[in-house]
Amino acid sequence: MPAVFLGVRHHSPACARLVADTVRRLRPAYVLVEGPADLNGRLDELALGHDLPIAVFSHYRDAERTATTWAPLCDYSPEWVALREGRAVGAEVLFVDLPSWHPAFELRANRYADAEARYAEATARLCERFGTGSVDALWDGLFEVAPADGLAERLDAYFDLVRGDAEADEGDRAREAYMADWVRAVLAEAGTATVLVVTGGFHTPALRTLAGRPAEVPGRPALPAPPPGAVSGSYLVPYSFRQLDAFAGYQSGMPSPAYYQRLWEGGPEAAADRLRRSVVARLRRRRHPVSTADLVAAAALTGGLAALRGHAVPSRTDVLDGLAGALVKDDLTQPLPWSERAPLAPGSHPVVVEMVAAASGGRTGRLHPDTPAPPLVHDAGARLAAIGATGTRPLTCDLTIADGLAASRTLHRLRVLGVPGRHRTAGPAHGADPVTGERWEAESESGRDAALIEAGAYGATLDEAAATVLAERARTTGSADAGLADLLFDTVLCGATALTDRLLTTLTATVARHPDPGALGAVLATALGLWRHDRVYGTARSPLLAAVLDGAVSRILWLVEGAHGRSGADPARLTALAAVRDALRHAPEQLTATRADTAALALRIARDPYAPADLRGAAHGLHLTLDVAALDAAALDVAALDAAGNLDSLGDWLAGLFALAREEVTADSGDGSLLAVLDAVLADLTDAEFLIALPALRQAFAWFPPRERERIARRLIERRGLRGSGRGLLRTTADPLHLAAARALEENVTALLDRHGLRSAR
Amino acid sequence: MNPPTDPDRRTDHPTGHRAGRRTDHRTDHPGRAAMTTTAEEQLQRPPAEVRYAEELAALRADDRDHRPPGWELSLRAARRFIVGDEAAGIARKFVGDPALVERALVTLATNRGLLLVGEPGTAKSLLSELIAAAVSGTSRLTVQGGAATTEDQIKYSWNYALLVSEGPSTRSLVPAPMLRGMAEGRVVRFEEITRCPLEVQDSLLSLLSERVVAIPELDGPEGMVFAKQGFNVIATANTRDRGVNEMSSALKRRFNFETVFPIPDLDTELALVEAESGHLLRRSGVTAAPDRDLLEVLVTAFRELRAAEGGDRPSAVMSTAEAVSVAHAVGLRGWYLRGEPGNAADLVSSLAGTAAKDSPEDLARLRRYLEQRVPRRRGAHWQAVHDARHLLAG
Repeated sequence: MPAVFLGVRHHSPACARLVADTVRRLRPAYVLVEGPADLNGRLDELALGHDLPIAVFSHYRDAERTATTWAPLCDYSPEWVALREGRAVGAEVLFVDLPSWHPAFELRANRYADAEARYAEATARLCERFGTGSVDALWDGLFEVAPADGLAERLDAYFDLVRGDAEADEGDRAREAYMADWVRAVLAEAGTATVLVVTGGFHTPALRTLAGRPAEVPGRPALPAPPPGAVSGSYLVPYSFRQLDAFAGYQSGMPSPAYYQRLWEGGPEAAADRLRRSVVARLRRRRHPVSTADLVAAAALTGGLAALRGHAVPSRTDVLDGLAGALVKDDLTQPLPWSERAPLAPGSHPVVVEMVAAASGGRTGRLHPDTPAPPLVHDAGARLAAIGATGTRPLTCDLTIADGLAASRTLHRLRVLGVPGRHRTAGPAHGADPVTGERWEAESESGRDAALIEAGAYGATLDEAAATVLAERARTTGSADAGLADLLFDTVLCGATALTDRLLTTLTATVARHPDPGALGAVLATALGLWRHDRVYGTARSPLLAAVLDGAVSRILWLVEGAHGRSGADPARLTALAAVRDALRHAPEQLTATRADTAALALRIARDPYAPADLRGAAHGLHLTLDVAALDAAALDVAALDAAGNLDSLGDWLAGLFALAREEVTADSGDGSLLAVLDAVLADLTDAEFLIALPALRQAFAWFPPRERERIARRLIERRGLRGSGRGLLRTTADPLHLAAARALEENVTALLDRHGLRSAR
Repeated sequence: MNPPTDPDRRTDHPTGHRAGRRTDHRTDHPGRAAMTTTAEEQLQRPPAEVRYAEELAALRADDRDHRPPGWELSLRAARRFIVGDEAAGIARKFVGDPALVERALVTLATNRGLLLVGEPGTAKSLLSELIAAAVSGTSRLTVQGGAATTEDQIKYSWNYALLVSEGPSTRSLVPAPMLRGMAEGRVVRFEEITRCPLEVQDSLLSLLSERVVAIPELDGPEGMVFAKQGFNVIATANTRDRGVNEMSSALKRRFNFETVFPIPDLDTELALVEAESGHLLRRSGVTAAPDRDLLEVLVTAFRELRAAEGGDRPSAVMSTAEAVSVAHAVGLRGWYLRGEPGNAADLVSSLAGTAAKDSPEDLARLRRYLEQRVPRRRGAHWQAVHDARHLLAG
């Protein structure tokens, strides 16, 4: 008897219902399900009685690549229903897909992502054919809210259209070949008994063809073994609707799990009604006005949209579109997230945020207590025992020795995972902190196992899980100033040596869009220091830091060239430029920006009349220090005099210059040197002008340490052919108030003498 | 060009919509219809209902679905007219999210006003024109909002010669688009509504909720004009102008907001720019097709600048329409200066005038983009644009 193929969409309640009906009707002897075949011996674990959603988490690591994949299961997953119903009718249920470590799943975080999303032309074809903007809206209209009769035939027609003549990629071909091997083998075993095959609809047309071919090797296909030396495993972890909804782009499955849960439980009317209620409740809780008139308008819109789109019952997008149309009274900055497969962007309209949250829901799954704990629990236990952190004794770690460093890393990884048990009371606070010891106090361990099981979803070892969490943090760190530098330091503290590409790319992407040059400067300085010198954490020359260096330099240069307008000297951004200078000096081979490019850029800023004075000065200094082609004295004069012409900006300009080119400024005092030009400018100031410029000048000269200030003083004395000590020029022995009083008295006397014509002509 | 059909009602009304009236009278004077059609063919840009008259007629003939009262087409047919239907030979006229068009149409059918908001150059006006043409068969009942817009340009004014000689009467009344839309049951377009003074905006309030305009000067039943089925308002507002935040919340409540976004994907936008600029160039007598690689550089640059955040974002509008006009300028320069398609140097030279307008900040942003971002891109055309960066004027 031929197999019965049932093509489904992952996480589709309509498909789940079809699977349940089919299993009950056919009572098959075998149910073959798209799921990792290495789990076949452990299907009892899945049937323990968990609160869904849960996920099968798989991890893999070899010398070249690490990969983590989730296979999320919720109440309305067709795969889950096939497993449950199949076992209920006494069928042998088998997972027939390749294990998650297989290269076919490379770069895929969600096993149950929609296959068609990876084939853009298929998606485009569908949308064009049906005149909708997104596949999700199309799917809902055709299947989720449509009457159930003829569902199987419509699904077949739909998936034939999706697959079309699209050539599957290499990974999908390998999986289809493997699944077809299983189908053939089980069909041979089954004889006259019924075999039901539940797989993603994208694969069904191919499986039908492949399964009809004669088997090359008789018997059930062997489980592919991971290459020698590789570590891999799969286990159950609790999952949440939030995580289910957080896959972006082609990783995503069906969005809005809370809506579909309700649809699975009570049908489309109930789901639409619940969604509407929950959005309104959320908005009113947030004190966003939602009037009855608005709700009438929303209902009218929803009804009209459903009729226009040919839905007997309003679908998810009908409800959301109706609510958005009636409740949003502003222009939006982003397209509505359900109109395209996009995650919610920062700055989204509050009404839209609440709507997405209401549709997504907050349910979290819980594993049955008898479920074997994920390896992270064992890994953490073993590591804590190894560093002797099991009791309540405080722990001190000397970071300069290998054991101390390892202990510190373990504890920091637990910290970033949010696992309670220990907290640090002393230790280095930032990358340049010269503290090499840490102290960790014990605290209550309650909730530790729960936290570890939850964190088990991030990785199999502490190392891996911490890297995943840090990558997630990098993605969510927006423009928070401290966030980025802290994140980088946490990465170093955790010794994220098993550096995942994900962490690297998210961190560099965060740097690349950070809006504040000051914060970036802090990150750059820290990263550069660690990259050059760090022996304690072993991060010197690490590729992570190199990537951060390059990203931060490019971004700072981009930002400073864009800064315009007037503002006082901003030490943070001057420090940032200084950090750029250091990076160009000490790590030029890591940077995309070359010395020549940067020098040209510095020149542009230095000559840009709209740039803030401090940046112009700093750019001037940067150009000097890069020493590509020395500025000629005339150009310098012009720049300095130009700055001096504007008394408000003279000090700021100098602050920028001194921040970048202290050494160059004090090096030479001959005619035409910078010092000479400045001296001339300052000497020409009237008393009143000098007083106006004084505060900014003080700030500017504060960039020089006392020793260099003394050197400047000495140079000035030499320039004027005088004798005396530079130090004497910098210090006053008398009280400044006395000096001021004396000066005032002197001015009074001069004025009096002038009034009576008693002063000799000067 | 257009002899007054009703000499006694001719006024110097600024939004007198002679064109609109002409359509109305066409049915009365079939002889003149032929003449006006020829005249319309010479127009620079005939209105949508003329440009797509055949499609509209075909859709109307095939329309089997229910039509909302006062509508010329059913919702589905109107949607097909705007979004296109390849099988039926209906061209796609609006490149954007079909769901937006659906929401807009349903909004109009539910007697709420429709407010299209968005960056300049996102085809809001085109969309409102298409919707009005599909729903009411005319897109000419239009109020152009501006600082000088007054209430009598929205509702009605008087032919003062007649007013003085005969007193107030329907003969001396000159209806403005809103009044005509209400009396005839048609969709009225209100362009750039947020550029009007607030009190003028608020004159729409009673009109949108009570659906009636009182003309106190006229006695009897003529003193109240009630809106017929089919009347509604599509307003457009620009996020770069005063914005919708300043609209009174009473008025906001009477509108459903739809934000129109720039085209989301590069290929679609590139194809549109290529087609539109090619069309413009042909009309300007240029036979050399624009260089596709160069257009890709242009469109990509526009998209990146548009997507920039905060202070990196140019204040000028980096819209698709603007990209088309740059592409047009590039083609013109290349053809009329050297007899070939425009090159990278033409692109850079054209950018300053068209994209940066007169803002030195935008020019600086553009220069920074050319200096820092362009060299990071691979490809000969990007390199050529980088090499030509010194041509950026200003």
